[in-house]
Amino acid sequence: MAAVRTPREIFLNRVAIAAVMVVLLIMLVPIYWIGSTAFKPRNLATTIPPTVFFQPEVSPFVKLMTKRSQLRKPVEQEVYDAAPWWEKMVLDGGEKVVRTGKGKIRPSGYGQRFTNSLIVSIISTFLAVSMGTLTAYGFSRFKVKGEDDWLFFILSTRMLPPVVVAIPMYLMYRVVGLNDSHLGLIILYTAFNLSFSVWIMKGFIDEIPREYEEAALVDGYTRIQAFFKIVLPEAMTGIAATAVFCFITAWNEYAFALIMTNRRAQTAPPYIPSQVGSGLPDWTVIAAGTFLFLLPVAIFTFLLRNHLLRGMSFGAIRK
Amino acid sequence: MAQIELRNVQKFFGAVQVIKDMNLTIEDGEFVVMLGQSGCGKTTTLRAIAGLETVTSGEILIDGKEVQNEKAADRDIAFVFQSFSLYPHMTVYENIAFPLRAVGMSNSERDKAVKEVAEILRIPNLLKRRPSALSGGDMQRVAIGRALVRRPKALLMDEPIGALDAKLREEMRAEIKRLHISRGSTSVYVTHDQIEAMSLADRIVIMHDGVLQQIGAPEEVYLKPANLFVAQFVGSPVMNVADVSVSGNGGDVSVVVGKADAGFAFPQSTLGNAKAGHELSLGIRPEAVLLSHDKSDGAIEVKSTNIEPLGSHDIVDVQIGSEVLRARTESGFVSGEGQTVWVNLDPTQAHFFDRASGLSLRGHE
Repeated sequence: MAAVRTPREIFLNRVAIAAVMVVLLIMLVPIYWIGSTAFKPRNLATTIPPTVFFQPEVSPFVKLMTKRSQLRKPVEQEVYDAAPWWEKMVLDGGEKVVRTGKGKIRPSGYGQRFTNSLIVSIISTFLAVSMGTLTAYGFSRFKVKGEDDWLFFILSTRMLPPVVVAIPMYLMYRVVGLNDSHLGLIILYTAFNLSFSVWIMKGFIDEIPREYEEAALVDGYTRIQAFFKIVLPEAMTGIAATAVFCFITAWNEYAFALIMTNRRAQTAPPYIPSQVGSGLPDWTVIAAGTFLFLLPVAIFTFLLRNHLLRGMSFGAIRK
Repeated sequence: MAQIELRNVQKFFGAVQVIKDMNLTIEDGEFVVMLGQSGCGKTTTLRAIAGLETVTSGEILIDGKEVQNEKAADRDIAFVFQSFSLYPHMTVYENIAFPLRAVGMSNSERDKAVKEVAEILRIPNLLKRRPSALSGGDMQRVAIGRALVRRPKALLMDEPIGALDAKLREEMRAEIKRLHISRGSTSVYVTHDQIEAMSLADRIVIMHDGVLQQIGAPEEVYLKPANLFVAQFVGSPVMNVADVSVSGNGGDVSVVVGKADAGFAFPQSTLGNAKAGHELSLGIRPEAVLLSHDKSDGAIEVKSTNIEPLGSHDIVDVQIGSEVLRARTESGFVSGEGQTVWVNLDPTQAHFFDRASGLSLRGHE
């Protein structure tokens, strides 16, 4: 580890670091753009050249979460003074918050869509990874008749572009009543991620020596106990990597969500762009929605980062 | 502790038969070493005893009870793998405690048992470490500890020290022997290293191509090999094997090695029922090939062709007819290649084998 490095090596190392920094900065520009726009007042969101320095405000998030309507004329001063701080921001923007007859604030659909996204993505990721791990374990450890054919069949489910099957799927879902339901999307995303999960997990489990399980078997454990106590902890790296990929796929999925759902079970991806067309396009609201939408994947990936560092190389650096 | 018995065990992998009609009884407290080349079926036999491999037919009995259809977990047998197979995500302590968790032992008892085993194996200072932070020898100590901790009926070891370097191997060999003597556990040990087998075993089981070749104490397989395979597999340097023809009748017979001009005189008794003119193979260990600088009775004049100085002794190759025999001499006895020496064979240490069947003519006493 502590090998002495020549000045040339040190120099090249610094160049490499500088290059990585440049690439990183370029990669971060869109994130910065979305993040900054989410905190801009509306009139600064579309200026040319872009505004870099501004007083950040949370009005885009307030607007994102509430149902609003356009003001024909400014509200009266007493109403303005009586309004809570966040409502003033909406009023300042020339809009008012829509309330029910009883004076309750009507929320926008975003919160529910976001929750839907969480429900569908987390459950489908869990199902895809757990079923995939078990299937991969079976293929890896036991002689399965026609193993190669089965594996190819599993892989082939990914060869068709999903959009091609969207219409038939929609018709089938409508017949069985799965359209616009959480269950429908969960089944769809699980099926879509399962082949990926089986293949990746098979690679990881193949690399776990059988002797570990055999040791557990002679130590007095059943095969299923050996699976949970030995194989699962050993496969954690692979499971983490697979889970991140499955979660990202399910979280970002747009086409099926757009076609299969419209209200009850709609996820955030089809909802966010739909706001462009309602009233004036308010890019700060879109940016706020997108910004919040980015967070779960970022947090999930961050939490699993230690596993991922090893997992991204797909087991190549396991000793 | 337990007695293990194999009855007519057969094992096929697809069309390949890896264990052929194996019959073997391992007595309570015995240390049996299964010796053979890789692929001879010794590991498969061991795994079959452990329950990691099913047998195609035949019975495996532990303490008189048939277990061939029982799961590994129910056989109460411990197994030490060549790769150690320590669970990487557990500490040494957890590794050793793992088998005890399966039987639901109380925490305090478990702790006591783990510490006791660690003490015996001299690893109490390593208990908090992860396996990846251990040396090879310590890993194997932990693996043995994990096997011993629940006092299994028998301890099976599959080349447990094969992955260690030479010096450590010698150390661990002594340690395994010490453990066996102090604990007296029925042990089955698989190796391809005949020195390990000789030094550890109460009895050696030699296998070749899935067939049991000979069972016997180390001296027995060394001094009375049942067939050519055993003769050449056990002992280092390897036993000389030469084609010989036998002539003469009555008291002494003349054994001609490699169609040489002259033969060696042997008492007929060493040849069993072999008749004159019979084509045989002679097996003779290098220490029974006697070289001398002076002509003596019955000796044949030969030339040395190669000398391997090994420090404590030399191995000298001599050409007799078309065959080369290797002789063990004191170091420096023959100074160089091409020297003329007189060679004689010790009849009491000579083995004759039927060339077709490979079986020893002595038969089995």
